[in-house]
Amino acid sequence: MSEPIKARNLSAQLHYRAAGNPPTTLASSAISNCFPGLEFDLRNLWRRLFQGILLHEADNLVVAAEDPGFRKLVGHRLIFVEECPMFIELRGPTKPGGADVLLTGSGNGVAALEWSNAMASVLERFKGTKDKVRCRFTKNPAWNPIGPMESSSAQLMTVRMHLNNLFYTGPDGEQAVINDTVVLPGELTQSLCSPWQNDYRECACYYWAASRPDFVNVEQTGPGKGTGNNWLAKDVEHKEYVVDSAVNQSKLWTYDELFRDWQRRLSFIVGGRDAEE
Amino acid sequence: MTLDSCAARLAPSATQLFRLSAPTSEHFHVYETDVGSHVLLPDGNRIFDLDGETARELTALQGAPANAVVEYLSELGIDPLQLIDDEPIADPPVKALSLAVAQKCNLGCAYCYAQGGAFGGPSMAMPVETALRAVDMLFAEAIPGDRVNLAFMGGEPLIARQVIHEATKRAVQLARQMDVVATFSITTNGTLVTPADAEFFEAHGFAVTVSLDGVGQVHDLLRPSKGGQGSFDRIMARIQPLLGLQHSMQVSVRTTVTPTNLALKATLDYFVEAGFHSVGFSPLLNSPTGDGEMGHKHLELMLEQMVECGEEFERRMAAGDRYPFNNMVNAMREIHRGTHRPYPCGAGAGYLGVSASGDLSACHRFVGDEEGALGSVTSGIDRERQKRWLSERHVHRQEPCKSCWARHMCGGGCHHEVIHRGRPACDYIRGWLHYCLSAYSRLIAVRPDYFGQRATQILE
Repeated sequence: MSEPIKARNLSAQLHYRAAGNPPTTLASSAISNCFPGLEFDLRNLWRRLFQGILLHEADNLVVAAEDPGFRKLVGHRLIFVEECPMFIELRGPTKPGGADVLLTGSGNGVAALEWSNAMASVLERFKGTKDKVRCRFTKNPAWNPIGPMESSSAQLMTVRMHLNNLFYTGPDGEQAVINDTVVLPGELTQSLCSPWQNDYRECACYYWAASRPDFVNVEQTGPGKGTGNNWLAKDVEHKEYVVDSAVNQSKLWTYDELFRDWQRRLSFIVGGRDAEE
Repeated sequence: MTLDSCAARLAPSATQLFRLSAPTSEHFHVYETDVGSHVLLPDGNRIFDLDGETARELTALQGAPANAVVEYLSELGIDPLQLIDDEPIADPPVKALSLAVAQKCNLGCAYCYAQGGAFGGPSMAMPVETALRAVDMLFAEAIPGDRVNLAFMGGEPLIARQVIHEATKRAVQLARQMDVVATFSITTNGTLVTPADAEFFEAHGFAVTVSLDGVGQVHDLLRPSKGGQGSFDRIMARIQPLLGLQHSMQVSVRTTVTPTNLALKATLDYFVEAGFHSVGFSPLLNSPTGDGEMGHKHLELMLEQMVECGEEFERRMAAGDRYPFNNMVNAMREIHRGTHRPYPCGAGAGYLGVSASGDLSACHRFVGDEEGALGSVTSGIDRERQKRWLSERHVHRQEPCKSCWARHMCGGGCHHEVIHRGRPACDYIRGWLHYCLSAYSRLIAVRPDYFGQRATQILE
């Protein structure tokens, strides 16, 4: 055994913090306790709700067929599951006091419903059964949103599909553990913001950098006092905190610099400090 | 480890287990198996595999001051968590009730805590209104999605079949109305079971426990009718419809182990073969007459028998087979989860007993016993008494539990037995847990899938 210890049972695994990992890597102190969306994007759970097809995490669109038999559905839109619509009409005034009209400015007057709300009643009804669920897709590919007028029965085709279990079922029955055949490794985080996207830098309190400390190379200077670097500082030799303000922009990496070369600008932080190359 | 090496390994004797499991440190328990060295930390019942050097260094800290142990563990990346503090749980909601629907019994087992079924008083039957009031109480604080359990005990509960039916009906109705999951259980001596009972239990998914203390004459000796006749053949004939109808229902055996029925492996195999869902053993530590109580020597014999059953469990599991030895199945599940608790069970907290007259007690064993009295179904839970109970029964207030590595697994032992007899079985419990920990470490290496883990995560 290469490591001196290895967490074996579940309580040991749950509370074990690997060497170099910050406290936020523990389930009990993770940022997801306050802001679940910042750690995992649970919309990805729903992409494989139906066996054989892959849905878009935020749109009622079939993006791939994992069962070749369903290839004909790729690019089609899932409009109804049983009697539940997977979209909602967008209506409202276009100016203060204006009339209530279909908002066709973007998306053809509809928005795809968030999966967990749209599918909840279907899941409740079919959970634990082997029954197929009646899905109605657009007859033709529809890469752009389909408006309510175009989702009439004549434009739809019915395909009956099996549901996947979202949760793992073990010897004790269903557990509060995500079924690892529904999301593959990496998928729960794949739609979170990434270093090459604006919000990595934009979030004022650096939440997006949660797994990378925003106050680094800290040295204690007295009880409760310390000095260190802003994680975006170009100069990390001097232990001086550069406030992210208009006058200091030249001392911090810019959007452009990060987008182009974030992996060279930012070191890994190990034990709270910039790691050696 | 392979199946062959499993079979080749010599099972430890009870004497060895007593020695290996001795309470040498309140902070950790290091144990060795043929797959390596391991440690159990009572703080969260966390289990780590150790390399040889770490195991030696940690073992050398036995008897060292707490801060030295904490410091050493911190260097390994194991933080102190204090997952169980000294605070008793406060105002726990009721999750399970057991109804002594009949405080009378047709059997005359000498060792019974209920003293012939009537708990040392006159025979009584629970009025239907009392049972319904208890069911209402069980659901009173439930919220949608909750799980509650309604258990029927006695005496022999099937003497009061009608009460069971009425109470079950009410619980099913309330569960449906309130979107609560209700589960049902019954502990019976099996002598009065009818085919209609089997259908009723199956329809409501009962967990049925039949008390059987051995096979044939061994059972007859311990569990005779009040007139002295044996009951084994009659019970086995009566429960056949139950055994044949286990879909949503589960029918298990509970064997109370006394010095006269120590052949556990043969008992286990007989009942598994007979078609029971599972078989579990429990030593008799306290009987009102002293009859059948297990002494240290008997517990030593029992431990060897338990280990023999456990070894068979390990062999069967390694081969991918089922072997429903309940003590082992439960131990593997709880050890893998790292379940840690300040009490041995839910008695007096989420679980209460209801006597035929509607009095609430800490559990089914405390019916009519002032020690565990906790109010009544009409006046509700006596929260002051419950608070005192939960405070006094907390394992951190028990001796010698405070300094035992097994304290958050065992929880201090059955309240009823401890209050009335003390703790004569600590060596046995620790020895058994030590064996179970070793079996867990061996099994998770060969059957990670049994614990819901992928082989690739385990077999580096």
